[in-house]
Amino acid sequence: MAHAAASAEGQQHPVKLYLVVWGWLFVLSAFSYSVDYFHLQGYLRWFLILLLMALKAGLIVAFFMHMAWERLALIYAILIPPVAVLVFVGIMVFESDYTLFMRETFFRLGQG
Amino acid sequence: MDATPTDTGEALARPAGWRGVAADWSSDQRAFKNVSWGKAMMWIFLLSDTFIFSCFLISYMTVRMSTTVPWPNPSEVFALTIGGTSVPLILIAIMTFVLISSSGTMAMAVNFGYRRDRVKTAALMLMTAAFGATFVGMQAFEWTKLIHEGVRPWENPWGAAQFGAAFFMITGFHGTHVTIGVIFLLVIARKVWRGDFDQEKQGFFTSRKGRYEIVEITGLYWHFVDLVWVFIFALFYLW
Amino acid sequence: MVTVLQARTRGMTLMRMPLTVWGIFTATVMALLAFPALFVGAVMMLLDRLLGTSFFMPSLVEMGQHLQHSGGSPILFQHLFWFFGHPEVYIVALPAFGIVSDLISTHARRNIFGYRMMVWAIVAIGALSFVVWAHHMYVSGMNPYFGFFFATTTLIIAIPTAIKVYNWLLTLWHGDIHLTVPMLFALAFIVTFLNGGLTGLFLGNVVVDVPLSDTMFVVAHFHMVMGVAPIMVIFGGIYHWYPKITGRMLNEALGRFHFWVTFLGAYAVFFPMHYLGLLGMPRRYPEIGETSFVPDSAATLNAFISVAALAVGFAQMVFLFNLIWSLSRGRQAGGNPWNATTLEWQTPETPPGHGNWGKELPVVYRWAYDYSVPGAERDFVPQNQPPARRATWEAAP
Ligand code: HEM
Ligand SMILES: [Cu+2]
Repeated sequence: MAHAAASAEGQQHPVKLYLVVWGWLFVLSAFSYSVDYFHLQGYLRWFLILLLMALKAGLIVAFFMHMAWERLALIYAILIPPVAVLVFVGIMVFESDYTLFMRETFFRLGQG
Repeated sequence: MDATPTDTGEALARPAGWRGVAADWSSDQRAFKNVSWGKAMMWIFLLSDTFIFSCFLISYMTVRMSTTVPWPNPSEVFALTIGGTSVPLILIAIMTFVLISSSGTMAMAVNFGYRRDRVKTAALMLMTAAFGATFVGMQAFEWTKLIHEGVRPWENPWGAAQFGAAFFMITGFHGTHVTIGVIFLLVIARKVWRGDFDQEKQGFFTSRKGRYEIVEITGLYWHFVDLVWVFIFALFYLW
Repeated sequence: MVTVLQARTRGMTLMRMPLTVWGIFTATVMALLAFPALFVGAVMMLLDRLLGTSFFMPSLVEMGQHLQHSGGSPILFQHLFWFFGHPEVYIVALPAFGIVSDLISTHARRNIFGYRMMVWAIVAIGALSFVVWAHHMYVSGMNPYFGFFFATTTLIIAIPTAIKVYNWLLTLWHGDIHLTVPMLFALAFIVTFLNGGLTGLFLGNVVVDVPLSDTMFVVAHFHMVMGVAPIMVIFGGIYHWYPKITGRMLNEALGRFHFWVTFLGAYAVFFPMHYLGLLGMPRRYPEIGETSFVPDSAATLNAFISVAALAVGFAQMVFLFNLIWSLSRGRQAGGNPWNATTLEWQTPETPPGHGNWGKELPVVYRWAYDYSVPGAERDFVPQNQPPARRATWEAAP
């Protein structure tokens, strides 16, 4: 991947590469849209949505934002802190499930 | 501790992989080799902004997952009737394509900037800004349509009140980012056009010389805005 | 922060930086990552208040009237707030950790014990503090399984924190301790922080916290650890760096008076609160009234606390006076009154001129803790002293 090393002059890469990435972004977005268009449901829907999202994000960060050519020191410095966000997401998933469970238990009682 | 001056490591070939990480971080003067001060600033700002958008999306997820009231179906809410048939989510799809196109033109602008092609760079940046403005315009259309249909931050005709709240807040924040990006692009494009970076002219606020790198820094911001939209599209509209 | 990462002077590797700079640097990184949560929480609260959204507001009845809100999640606000809030307590603490390390090393003429460990402890505390936030929420009604997770992560943070306390003590061990005013404050910090850290360990355990939460015990904990301890360091820092900033020393006798009244007074204020908390006295109540569990004597204790607080307040007047008085009357300090190694003490002028260094930036050859090096002519070696030119230090830039 690192065929064109970043020089002190800045990032220089073949135009073709950008065009290919660009093309893929369009294709992946079209796929994302068709997930909804064809009314896929359940785990398949979730799997596809998240997969396509991750692929697109990866392409943008790696090529358009030139992360693929940066040195690892910068890559880790930027990509490791968001792990804290993932922990937060995980915790809030469990928290929401629990809140919903409590609401269904007690609000139903009140209304029933 | 050894009392020798360390090498600044700028000129030498630097090791790769984990050894490279260790070498860079323990090296002299700069931890991020080959990365200028301005670019490091932009990356660090974007990291913080990532946390902001993450917190917005996490909050949205939490209210949506814990509400007992049904959530409106975005596929239908954002459908448009075109030629008599209702096409689901079509407006959002078009907005997505517009934004991706703008990312592509931006990437090209950065590329031509480093080739010192003044005219092409400025033209591509202007195109990017135009796509950005189109995006904001479509968003304004979308807001208007929803408001006509009775969506308010505090209620909507179809279900959980948090739908409108999260929608206006998240897209509003993202739209603001796009708008700022458009302004940023126009300012820099003007400088490129005038040839400031060919003559290394001094900037308005700073004593340092202007360089084409600013195009890449603008690009980082712009791609980030696109990146956020990837997540909003998946998590708000497709969920 | 970018200054530390990308614009260090020649020779200043990260592992040669004074711990003060490490503490401030890490705190800045944490601020960058923690404030977004506060910001988002604040935005959503504003929207709830001004626009009538219901992010945090559940169905509410206020003064007999049903409010418009429905279905919001108050606990979400608590999560957002504490996702910011816990890192914030360390944003306050880490610079204090760093400064106190430098004060102790300088005033005990001893290299800091375990420098690398100290740096990694700062980094580890910074990282871990992003996954402990819900220890503030044990009684909030969150998912009950979280207690275990967050108690565990909370107690793990105690490890790097304890390492730091041990290293401070080991730095003092066999040191040539000068009981200067900055040193007194530094020592006071260690004691106070230890006290607050231990009560933190109590509170970090769910079963212990449940009865103690929202009592004066928590107030005692966080005032010890976040109020008194860092303020001790701030005072120590002011006494330490005032000569560099103004060129004159602060008055020593007034300083000692200020120290003893503040230190003992702060203990008189906050130590009894532990006891009040154990009695079950809730926090945030201006007046308790009649309860079955708080004895009347508690009111006496509260009155005592108020008196002690007034005394501490008075001591601060003395301090302010000292600040102003010494500006013109203080003893001339010279460039490096404490014989310290770090760069700020080596500037050509005191107080430093614009740009600090004049034309040429210093070059760093060593870490910040070369005190009492065997064989060296003096008991300290400045960071910018090159290794070969031992004898030329008088002419050092
Ligand atoms: C070993 C380290 C620590 C542990 C285990 C710990 C644990 C805790 C726990 C469990 C609470 C919640 C008590 C409750 O509300 O029931 C708490 C409160 C608090 N802690 Fe700590 N803590 C530690 C260190 C610190 C430090 C270093 C600071 C600040 C510099 C700090 C500042 C606070 C504050 C401000 C509160 C009160 C929050 C409120 O208003 O409710 N803590 N601590
Ligand atoms: Cu905490």
